Amino acid sequence: MTFGITGLGGYLPSLRLDRKAASRELSWSGLPMPRAGFRTVASWDEDALTMAVEAARSLCAGVVPSALRFVSTSAYFTDRAQSAIMVDALALPRTVRTSDCANSRRAATSALLDALLSGRDEMVVAAERRPTQPGSAAQLAFGDGAAAVRTGPDGAARLVGHASLTHDLVDRYSSQEHPFSYAYEERFVRDVSAKELLIPAVQAACASAGIAPAQVAHVACAEPVGATWRAVAKAVGCSAPNHCEGLSQQAGDLGTAHALFGLGLALAAARPGDFVLLLGFGSGVDALVFEMTSSVPGADTMAAAVSEGQALTSYSRFLSLSGSLALDWGMRSEFEQKAQATVLERVGRDTIGFIGGRDSTGNVQFPKSAMPVNPVLDKPEVLQDVPLAGLEATIVSVTADRLNFTPDPPFDFGLVQFDNGARVLMEMVDRPESGFSVGQRVRMRLRIKAQNAKLGFRTYFWKAAPLVRPFLGDA
Amino acid sequence: MATGIRDKVAIVGMGCTRFGERWDVGADGLMVEAFAEALADAGIERARIEAAWVGNALDDINVGNSALPAAHALRLDKVPVTRVENMCATGTEALRGAAYAVASGAVDIALAIGVEKLKDTGYGGLPLRTKGVQNDLWMPYGSAPGTFAQLAGAYAARHGIDPADLKRAMAHVSWKSHQNGALSPKAHLRAAVDMEKILGAPLIADPLGLFDCCGVSDGAAAAIVTTPEIARALGKADPVTIKAIQLSASNGWEMQFGGWDGASVPNTQAAAARAYAEAGIRDPRAELDLTEVHDCFSITELVIMEDLGLSDTGRAPTDILDGRYDRDGAIPCQLDGGLKCFGHPVGATGLRMAYEVYNQLQGRAGERQRAKADFGLTHNLGGTPFNSVAAVAILGRLN
Repeated sequence: MTFGITGLGGYLPSLRLDRKAASRELSWSGLPMPRAGFRTVASWDEDALTMAVEAARSLCAGVVPSALRFVSTSAYFTDRAQSAIMVDALALPRTVRTSDCANSRRAATSALLDALLSGRDEMVVAAERRPTQPGSAAQLAFGDGAAAVRTGPDGAARLVGHASLTHDLVDRYSSQEHPFSYAYEERFVRDVSAKELLIPAVQAACASAGIAPAQVAHVACAEPVGATWRAVAKAVGCSAPNHCEGLSQQAGDLGTAHALFGLGLALAAARPGDFVLLLGFGSGVDALVFEMTSSVPGADTMAAAVSEGQALTSYSRFLSLSGSLALDWGMRSEFEQKAQATVLERVGRDTIGFIGGRDSTGNVQFPKSAMPVNPVLDKPEVLQDVPLAGLEATIVSVTADRLNFTPDPPFDFGLVQFDNGARVLMEMVDRPESGFSVGQRVRMRLRIKAQNAKLGFRTYFWKAAPLVRPFLGDA
Repeated sequence: MATGIRDKVAIVGMGCTRFGERWDVGADGLMVEAFAEALADAGIERARIEAAWVGNALDDINVGNSALPAAHALRLDKVPVTRVENMCATGTEALRGAAYAVASGAVDIALAIGVEKLKDTGYGGLPLRTKGVQNDLWMPYGSAPGTFAQLAGAYAARHGIDPADLKRAMAHVSWKSHQNGALSPKAHLRAAVDMEKILGAPLIADPLGLFDCCGVSDGAAAAIVTTPEIARALGKADPVTIKAIQLSASNGWEMQFGGWDGASVPNTQAAAARAYAEAGIRDPRAELDLTEVHDCFSITELVIMEDLGLSDTGRAPTDILDGRYDRDGAIPCQLDGGLKCFGHPVGATGLRMAYEVYNQLQGRAGERQRAKADFGLTHNLGGTPFNSVAAVAILGRLN
């Protein structure tokens, strides 16, 4: 049986830093900066986990995957599996096998290849929010985002060939003592990565698929440096466009998620019968050749997401959001909540999964309680699980709070009403230019609820967001 | 069949400190100041206090846990002292405890005292606290103005009122309280402010501007309660009596169930209805001479006027702009300046309200004295509009 891709999902934060605005801010320094396009910027309450969940959500309807592979080089927890948190956030059964992969930008394509070769219905989710240093080219070149791939038998894009090379080429690195990416000379990286890694891998993968590189119609190549694919394409005789290039321009280099997101864009552009080449780079190469048999669910949505967002023109706000600038937020910011493991064990899965409860009359409430909130009921009863994360709701009351501390003021919050009866006091995110208003419809997004910097712990919950995002051009 | 406490409890002495930024004194000193005034007013010795209730809402931040700080500060010797806490309704809760003790016949003379030392937190506004380890996992951490500001948008939406018109009515609420606070010697804020300044102030939580919000203060207030018979024996020929004290607390309905429109506070409505019944008030608009309500924010006072039945639903903005609740209006509200200007040391606030009504009922309110003052209402509101504790008390005279 041939395995392939059955679905795709992607997530990019709404904020897009205008590289021109940022490079202008630093022009006095004379440092070389990318000036064209945008980079995505995770808000203070987004991390690799929240973005991974957002990317994977659309792939969780229907049949439960047998395994979930989370991939990131910038995951927050180093000894707490992000994949396990995802199982609860996505309300998946605890029988789903999980694994976390890291330590290479290539980890996502390796995980995908393993999933495809495993003969199982799996989900591979890569997400990245990498720390960067002001003044580095990486700060403006990188972006934050996530991509998810569901695999299964007879996917709409079938794996028809593959090859991998392991090669410890140090084009850039980060380490515990140097968490910012340290990059070596671009010309060296381009020349060696093309000649020693990418060209042989492309040739081997195409041979494995029984095609010539010239037959490849679309490429998703996560390049170590710009113009690498052009050098490879010329050498192997392939004229296919690299969809990761446009992604870099509009959203930035998404690290482990870049190749998978680029794959989504390539599959959105491909037609049935086309061959699509996926190249993951980092400490070697993974080359996967797919043959598209029909349109892949989710690919179009990923393509549309690239052009959405709100332009961020304040470099200092970007620095603050990305953790590069520690503002003195005053005494109110000193307060920190401490989550207790006992409480997380008791109600954590229902909380991060946003599971409400339906009472015997059909009314839904959140959180669940022993005694239902419904006034017509006067005895304790066991409420039935009702997931709320996928539902829309309506704002009943709202304000933009400018007093309490939040890392990105104002603090929008209010009551939202779900159509099934549940009413929840919620934070609101992705603030539209005109703010939030009573009666507005909202959707749910997973975000960081509370961050305890002293203890290095964070909790997650859902926040209400506008149903649609503006087109970046309109912002 | 319960008969309530109408006229079963008299207030024979009250004290209230100057509210404000009391850098000069701690919580113990504030309690002593209010207590000493109440004792002198009652004309009794400390030893006659048989039981005490101390109201203190933010214990860990300033005063300290339990009733002991009050017992220590006042040197109450082996007296049963109980600390009560019910958010911003704490002061009235303390009075309720003391009044119930007297009404039940358990004691002859009891003390209610409320105190807060909020200016020891280091910043303006209420101190930050956990909402409980389970609620912290999901509940937004909004500020007090943030929660009450939400009344405004919901009110405008429900009644189809232009937000700019609503804002003007809200501004009038604050303007009026500043006018009154200027005549209130113990008030925290004693400067009159014009409408333009109120309307043009920076936003704290949309649409509440700086002048739509009360600040927080240091302060204490106390009441000594007893039976009407003992009151007469103490020389109070026509003592002030408690006509009613009622409390109503949310059970989660407003914020978890879909029936509430966000433009009113059902607990105020419930507490008021029960208080009117207990006090025998049939027509509050005609019978009440003054009110002291929980104007933590201008929009709160506006909505309270409807919840208390003093304005028709949707008509409070008009009544406010018409001056019904001004000092010279039909039912003046916050003659002492209210939370907005007298100040808001949370645990003391309910008793501060009672202090103003108590003085008005006895003709002792100086420049602020209302010509006719037979019945006065106090209203405390703790928590948020969607998760609240409302307390309503009605005071009058025995005869």
